[in-house]
Amino acid sequence: MIRFAADYFDGQTSRAHPVEATVEAGQLLVQGENIAFALPLDRIQVAPPAGQARSVVHLPDARELHSADRAALLELNHLTASARPERWAHLLESRLRFALAALVVSVFIVFAGLRWGVPAVALLATHTLPGWVEQRIGEEALALMDRVSLSPSKLPAVRRQALEQKLAAQCSKQACPPFRLLFRDSRLFGANAMALPGGSVVVTDALVRLSHQDDEVLAVVAHELGHVQHRHGLRLALQSIGAGAILVAVTGDIGSVTDLAAGLPSLLLQNGYSRDMEREADAYALAWLKTACIPPARFADILGRIDTGAADKTSLLDSHPGTQERIKPFLTAGGCT
Amino acid sequence: MSHTKQYPMQFTGAGGEYFVIWIVNIALTLVTLGIYSAWAKVRTLRWFYGHTLLDNQAFSYLATPIQILRGRLIAVAALVAYSMASQFAPTLAIVLLIAFFVLLPWIVVNSLRFQARQSAYRGLRFDFTGTVGEAARIYIGLQLLIPFTLGLILPYIAYRQVRFIAGNTVYGQTGARYQGALKPFWGVYLLSFALILLPFALIAYAAYQAYLMQAAGVSREMAMATFSGLLAAGMVAFYLMIPVVGAMIQARTANLLYNGTVMGPVSFASSQRARDLVWIYLSNLVLVALTFGLFIPWAKVRLARYRAQRLTVYAPEELGIFVAGQHQASTATGAELADLLDLNLGLT
Repeated sequence: MIRFAADYFDGQTSRAHPVEATVEAGQLLVQGENIAFALPLDRIQVAPPAGQARSVVHLPDARELHSADRAALLELNHLTASARPERWAHLLESRLRFALAALVVSVFIVFAGLRWGVPAVALLATHTLPGWVEQRIGEEALALMDRVSLSPSKLPAVRRQALEQKLAAQCSKQACPPFRLLFRDSRLFGANAMALPGGSVVVTDALVRLSHQDDEVLAVVAHELGHVQHRHGLRLALQSIGAGAILVAVTGDIGSVTDLAAGLPSLLLQNGYSRDMEREADAYALAWLKTACIPPARFADILGRIDTGAADKTSLLDSHPGTQERIKPFLTAGGCT
Repeated sequence: MSHTKQYPMQFTGAGGEYFVIWIVNIALTLVTLGIYSAWAKVRTLRWFYGHTLLDNQAFSYLATPIQILRGRLIAVAALVAYSMASQFAPTLAIVLLIAFFVLLPWIVVNSLRFQARQSAYRGLRFDFTGTVGEAARIYIGLQLLIPFTLGLILPYIAYRQVRFIAGNTVYGQTGARYQGALKPFWGVYLLSFALILLPFALIAYAAYQAYLMQAAGVSREMAMATFSGLLAAGMVAFYLMIPVVGAMIQARTANLLYNGTVMGPVSFASSQRARDLVWIYLSNLVLVALTFGLFIPWAKVRLARYRAQRLTVYAPEELGIFVAGQHQASTATGAELADLLDLNLGLT
C-alpha cells in the first residue's frame, strides 16, 4: 500500500490543503480537513520524478497533489500508465554505473558515427543524389573560393591553352569523367590543385610554374580526375553535414544547423581528403598516365618538388599522407599499356 | 489586511544529481536518433522547476513531450526547407525569409505564451497576454529604427521588451504591471557604451605617447615598440570587455525586469551583480573546456542557484489567495522555432 503526505490544490485557488493520500484497491484516496474523495487510478497522472526534484500528481479538473515523498510518487508512477519512455531514463539514472555506461555508450556512438557511420551514409547518398545537387555545391564552393582565396590566373593565355589542348587530346583517347579545367592564382594555396564537387579541377599558377614540363601538370590533373571520377568532393561535403548533425545531437545546440548549411563550401577547404580517397585517386592517376603514355615518374617528380617547396604551409596537397610511400608505385611502374 | 512577508527564492538542485539526468538524456537522444530530445527537454525542465522553491512550494513544468516533439518537428522541417532553398533555389529562400519576418511577432508571442502556460506554482498556471500587434511594433518596427537613430533607440527597445514581457505576465487571474521607468535603461546602455570605448581610449593614449616620444627625439623604433605594445593591450582589453558588457547588461536587465514588476499584492527584488555573472561565466567556460564538456551540468546548476539566490519575493503572508484563470491550450511550435533560431526575446 502506498501512503504519503501531500499538499492538495483544488485548481481554483493557490491555497495548499495538507492531506494524506493512500492507494487502495485501484483507487487513490485523498483525505484532509473538509476534504475526502477517491479517484480510480486510471484518471490520475504522475509527472515522472526527475532526480530529487519535487513532482506532481495531476488529478482531473486541473487539481494537483504536490509531495516531497519521492519514493511514494515513483511507486504511484509505476501503477499508472503515464510516461513510458521515461521509465528507461529513470532506470538508467537509478544507478551510477548505469549512468557511466550511458556516458561510455554516448562517447562510442559519437566516435563510431564519425568514423564509420557518416562516411558510409555519405557514400550511399553520393550514389542517390541527383547530379545537379553536386553541380550546385561545386559552384557555391568555387564562388566562395573565388571571393576569398583565389584570383584570376596570371599565366599567359597561350600556356593555358596548350595545357588544355594536351588534356583534351588525352581525354579523346581514353575515358575521362566530365570535368572543367580552371586556372587560378592563389597565394594561400601555393602550388596546388583541387577537385571540386561537380567536376571543376582548379590548378594554381604556382603549380604550373613549378612544373618542368607539361606532363607533370597533366599527372597532377590526372590525380584530381581520380577524385572527380570517385566523386570524393561530394562525399566530403556530405560527411561535413553528417558530422555537424552529430555535433548538434550532442550539444543540443540545434541553432548551429543554420550556420552549417551556410558554411558548407568552406568546410570543403578545411577538411583534406582521407587517406583512402587519396589512394583511390592515385590508383586512377597511375592507370590514366599509363594509358596516356606519360611516364608515371612525372607525378613523383612534381609531388616531391611540392613537398619540399611548401613544407611550412598547410593546404590540401600538403595534408596528403606519406609522400614517399605514395610515389613509390609511380617510380616502379613501367611504360605505356 | 495581511502583512507583507519576505520570501527568498531557493534552488535546491545539486550538480551531481543533474549530471546523471543529463548524461542519460544525451545517451537516449543519440540512441533514438534525436527523437528522445523532446522527452529530455521536458525531463530537464521538470527537474529545474521542481528544485525551484518559494515558500517551500516548488514550481512545476507542465508541457508534455509529445507537444514539444510536434513543435520541434515543425520547426526543424521549416529550417531544413529554408537551408535547402538557400542552397538550390535562392528566390524561394528569399520568399521564405520574408515570410519568416512577417511571422516573427507571432513566433515571439507564441513562444512567450507557451512558456508561461506550461509553468505553474501552487496549482495555478501562468499566462501571457501580449498581442501580436505589440510584438510587431517592438520586435520589427522599433528594430528598423536602429540605423536611423544611430542606435540611440536601443535603451528604449530594451525597456519596451521588458515592459512587454513582464507587464503581460499573468498568474492565475492576477495580471502583472510593469512600473519601471525608461531612465535606468539609459544608464545600462550608456555604461556599456563607455566600457566598450575604454579599450579604444587606451589605443588613442598609445598613439599620443608614441607621438610625444617622437617629438622628444626618441628613435622611431622605440616609439613604435611602445605603440604596438599598448595597441596589443588595447585589443586584448576589447575582447575581454565583450563578455563583461554582456554580463552587465544581463544582470542589470534582469534586476530592472523584476524590480519594476508588480503582480497584485506581490513585488520582487532582484540583486544580480555583473561581476558575479562574469566570474560564473568565465570560470564555467574554463571548467567546461578542461573537462571536455562534462562540467556542463554543474555550470548550469551554478547559474540557476545564483539567480534564485539573488531574487526575493514580497508577498502577503497568506499565499493561498490567488484565483485560477481560464485554462487554455497552446502549441509548442512558436517556442521551438524561437529555440531553434536562438531568438533572444529579451528574457534573462
